[in-house]
Amino acid sequence: MYCVRLVTENLYWVGANDHRLALFENIHPIPKGVSYNSYLLLDEKSVLFDTVDWSACRQLLENIEHLLEGRQLDYLVINHMEPDHGASIEEILLRYPQVQIISTEKAFMLMRQFGFHVDGHECIQVQEGDTFSFGTHMVTFVGAPMVHWPEAMVTFDTTNGVLFSADAFGSFIALDGKLFADEVDFDRDWIDEARRYLTNIVGKYGPHIQLLLKKAGGILDQIRYICPLHGPVWRKDIGYFVDKYDKWSRYEPEVKGVLIVYASMYGNTEAAAQALASRLCEKGIADVALYDVSNTHVSYLISESFKYSHIVLASVTYNLGIYPVMKNYLEDMKALNLQNRTFAIIENGSWACKSGDLMQKFIEDELKNMTVLNERLSLASALHEDKAVELDALADAVVESLQENQKNS
Amino acid sequence: MLFQTTNAHEELRAKVRAYAEEEIKPIAFLLDQQNEFPEEAIRKLGKMGLMGIPYPKEYGGAGLDVLSYAIAVEELSRIDGGTGVILSAHVSLGSWPIFTYGTEEQKKKYLIPLAKGEKIGAFGLTETNAGSDAGGTETTAVLKGDHYVLNGGKIFITNAPVADTYIVFAVTTPDIGTRGISAFIVEKGWKGFYFGDHYDKMGIRSSSTAELIFDNVEVPVENLLGKEGEGFKIAMSTLDGGRIGIAAQALGIAQGAYESAVAYAKERIQFGKPIGFQQSISFKLADMATKLRCARMLVYSAAELKENHEPYGMEAAMAKMYASDIALEVTNDALQIYGGSGFMKGMEVERAYRDAKITTIYEGTNEIQRVVIASHLLGKPPKEQGSSASRPKKPAPITGVRKKMIFREGTSAEQVEALAECLKKDGHDFSVGIPLDTPINQAERVVAAGKGIGEKENMKLIEDLARAAGAAIGSSRPVAETLKYLPLNRYVGMSGQKFTGNLYIACGISGAVQHLKGIKDASTIVAVNKNPGAPIFKNCDYGIVGDVNEILPLLSAALDSGEKQPAPPMVKMKRPHPPKAEPIGSRYVCGGCGYEYVPEDGDEAAEIAPGTLFEKLPEDWVCPECAEARDQFIQA
Repeated sequence: MYCVRLVTENLYWVGANDHRLALFENIHPIPKGVSYNSYLLLDEKSVLFDTVDWSACRQLLENIEHLLEGRQLDYLVINHMEPDHGASIEEILLRYPQVQIISTEKAFMLMRQFGFHVDGHECIQVQEGDTFSFGTHMVTFVGAPMVHWPEAMVTFDTTNGVLFSADAFGSFIALDGKLFADEVDFDRDWIDEARRYLTNIVGKYGPHIQLLLKKAGGILDQIRYICPLHGPVWRKDIGYFVDKYDKWSRYEPEVKGVLIVYASMYGNTEAAAQALASRLCEKGIADVALYDVSNTHVSYLISESFKYSHIVLASVTYNLGIYPVMKNYLEDMKALNLQNRTFAIIENGSWACKSGDLMQKFIEDELKNMTVLNERLSLASALHEDKAVELDALADAVVESLQENQKNS
Repeated sequence: MLFQTTNAHEELRAKVRAYAEEEIKPIAFLLDQQNEFPEEAIRKLGKMGLMGIPYPKEYGGAGLDVLSYAIAVEELSRIDGGTGVILSAHVSLGSWPIFTYGTEEQKKKYLIPLAKGEKIGAFGLTETNAGSDAGGTETTAVLKGDHYVLNGGKIFITNAPVADTYIVFAVTTPDIGTRGISAFIVEKGWKGFYFGDHYDKMGIRSSSTAELIFDNVEVPVENLLGKEGEGFKIAMSTLDGGRIGIAAQALGIAQGAYESAVAYAKERIQFGKPIGFQQSISFKLADMATKLRCARMLVYSAAELKENHEPYGMEAAMAKMYASDIALEVTNDALQIYGGSGFMKGMEVERAYRDAKITTIYEGTNEIQRVVIASHLLGKPPKEQGSSASRPKKPAPITGVRKKMIFREGTSAEQVEALAECLKKDGHDFSVGIPLDTPINQAERVVAAGKGIGEKENMKLIEDLARAAGAAIGSSRPVAETLKYLPLNRYVGMSGQKFTGNLYIACGISGAVQHLKGIKDASTIVAVNKNPGAPIFKNCDYGIVGDVNEILPLLSAALDSGEKQPAPPMVKMKRPHPPKAEPIGSRYVCGGCGYEYVPEDGDEAAEIAPGTLFEKLPEDWVCPECAEARDQFIQA
């Protein structure tokens, strides 16, 4: 059965939802699923914007067939070649042998690398600023390198103000009938997964997102719809989401608050983290989130790290080093280019406590523009009464730094 | 071309030789034994016009050529290697930089008396952590209006403390390596300019060698030699020329030993004939003479190149390296020919044997000479990593960021007063205190004694101060371990107890690395030490340079507030955040793959030196990861 929705006159969503995939990119858990968005424009010519993952190919084909009603598919615009969108290209080419493909030079190179046999078809290579008419609709192509692959572009339909934004402005979570962001409570139900998507997938490429936002800034008043490749279509309150993207890609915290991530083997470090959390709340800082690094997927930690201004790392010493799962989280922060945060450290070690020094060194040497508070809490095995003063000092330092932060912002 | 010196050269040689044999030879053994500088003889050398041989007459020199100067050094060294280097260091190192880089005023003021021999010159480059690698220079010169303030020290300085003027190299722009070094003319007698001990050397004992110490020495801006940042260039070009002098010295020492050995070989009879006619000895002499001729050709030709303004850096290095290497061989053979007699003190060959050794070491070790020669042969190595020139930043003091406020104004009592004032202002409450025997790692305050405390009875001063400051007592490791003034569990340091409290008062502690690591978390560190160069002063918040016997009682009185109340649980005082190293330039991200170009790292594979700004990358540079062109990068 076809499953399509009208975006705006002559433009249809023809994608699919996926609840069976456990790990996006085979790494990030997606318990609420994900959608692969593809769009069909029925102008004088018919145009398909991107395809879907191979697992959703049959749904895409049904949708197109239904809408074309026997018409030829004339053009296939590929904004982003990653296989969760590009994998069905070859099937489209087989079914619609007349179709002409429009994409960037690098995208065509990748199609050949992936073995999608495009060479028997007409390939129209476009670059930044090129325009193309499908009848009444005139589109402009805009390069979006490293958002988040080098071949990516976005396509702007100047006739109806639709921006096909590729992976930009996407989100995890399957649409399940809804199509528009204004059909859900985005700020309540979607923002965390949207952040987790962006920060983990494209977090490293903040400068390139900024570049794209700058390009979009020039035509912002002409954009009526943002049609991303995952998640809902934006037609209202676009500024809300653009603003979030601006913050994330500048590595500015969304929230003045404290993220506490602990690595605990037998609960002693956890107890210290809990004690700190309650001290912070007692001192009036209620925006505190606390996670066990061992049973929280790192993609959630990264997302929270992009959200909060302050991060407390509490780690045991393990093989004279940082607890491996904590180390992995730190490495991920580095890989995703997280910057401009304030850290506090709780360290634990029963005979040779090393984790604090090592974490501080990593933060200072490997991450960019981070501040580590001096007040470190050191435990020998467990937190006892005699450390109450130090615990308070640590909590005070975090509170003070938050307030300073407040003043400066 | 006959490879011969001119008559004028040989006349000069005869003149210097006569002088050396008459004036130096009779006292050479005495100078060697007594470690004594031949002041009178050097004065006479000046009067003869030999202290400024290669400089124009208008600047007080003799107006002769470089070869004449080399011959003079050779002839003096033939009799006494120490006297030879006095001349060499004076002419090549102490005077030449002024002649070449000095302003007209500087030449008039300093070069003329040097060239006339009225004043003696010296050259200060080597430091504890900077010898072959000048980029490690730690002596600093900070511009303060019309003068620079010089701090630090130099070691192994030839002609110190006899010399009157010193060419001193100091860092004017920190953290950029050799490009941040500048040269200064510093006069003996200026306030804060001291000398350490006269070294007790193996050889060249008639030459004086001492340590230079600069403690806030004010150097007028007009004594900057060349421009700021030109120091390394000045030093290197000076050493290029200086090598001719040292080569000549090595040649002279070897020549003297050789001649002495020939004489002895003709005179000593064994197996019925002079030993020189035994093949084993005659072959030795033949080898020695050949080596000497080779060395002489190298030295004289380097001198001629310099005189004629031809490139001579490599040739001077070859001459220095070869002449000094063979000087060791020749003096060794000469001593061997003398047999047991040569092993006796007072024998010229014995002294020559010892004197020769330094020539393979100073003015660039012979290993460095080979580096210099090879660099002329091969050009610059492809990357500049590892040497201090490209090292981005110096390590911070071991104890982290400290105020380093040293009280210098006024009397000792006033200094102590100012210190007590600062401590109270920082929030140290001296109405409360902890027991003297509080475990170090739990103590809020510690007064610690170092070896500078002196006799055991002085520990009373420590106790008094600890009581007045409401502190426990600690010490450095030697005070507990070697002197046994305190039990072992009271020494502070990496291997001992770590102090993490609020106030640490180090008395007579110089600040060994081990010790400093043990106090790096202290909120406030106070140092009292009589040596202004002690590392503790670079690692403290407050310091007083002075004797513990004088300062401690004053400090006790200043902090004493009668009976102390028991201290409440310690509230750890905050330490400042260390400042971050500023990036040297923007990073850029590749649009083809996300690779980030970091200017501090450069791009080793493409032979882009660390420190190269993105803007300075060659046009044809491409992304090392995906080969995108430079214009595909955007600013991070």
